[in-house]
Amino acid sequence: MFCSIKNPAERRYVFRMWGMAAFCILCSFATALVFRHLHPHGALAYLVACLPAVPILGALVYTGVYLGEEKDEFQRNVLVQSLLGGTGGILAVTTTWGYMVDFAHAPQLDLVWVYPLFWVFAGISYGLVKARYR
Amino acid sequence: MKNRLRVLRAERDWSQADLAQRLEVSRQSVNAIETGKFDPSLPLAFKLARLFETTIEAIFSDED
Repeated sequence: MFCSIKNPAERRYVFRMWGMAAFCILCSFATALVFRHLHPHGALAYLVACLPAVPILGALVYTGVYLGEEKDEFQRNVLVQSLLGGTGGILAVTTTWGYMVDFAHAPQLDLVWVYPLFWVFAGISYGLVKARYR
Repeated sequence: MKNRLRVLRAERDWSQADLAQRLEVSRQSVNAIETGKFDPSLPLAFKLARLFETTIEAIFSDED
């Protein structure tokens, strides 16, 4: 699967992101198990709850590393525009939702959804940016 | 920005993929530059000029 990607920087990026995704699933299950069976309290509970965020932060760092490693400036430009689209999209949704919560008593948006939603918007943005250059 | 990449490439009978390989960039990059949708950085413009043994001004023009 990774061998079909010719660009070495992109290959490393995809490999690292899949690694972080697998690590995230592992951390989520581990955290759920710890809270179900060991019932941690206080600072330890906060620490354990942060565990699934570690691969998330890792994925963000690896995205930055990829931008540094990618020698093709056009591909870098496409990714940066996509990430901006993702950031703009998630800011727009969360801010609008915040006003809906404040004024119309809409249900609270679970912050856990911010990160996946960011990538959904970045993905949509990536498709649009690519289409513009086609 | 207008450019003569397609002409210069055709003179050498190179495909976009051939040029991309020589520049060590993706074929999409060459296509985006060639169609004027993406302006290359100065280092890449110099690389193009060296590859085609000409000057940057002979490849790119800032006229609309």
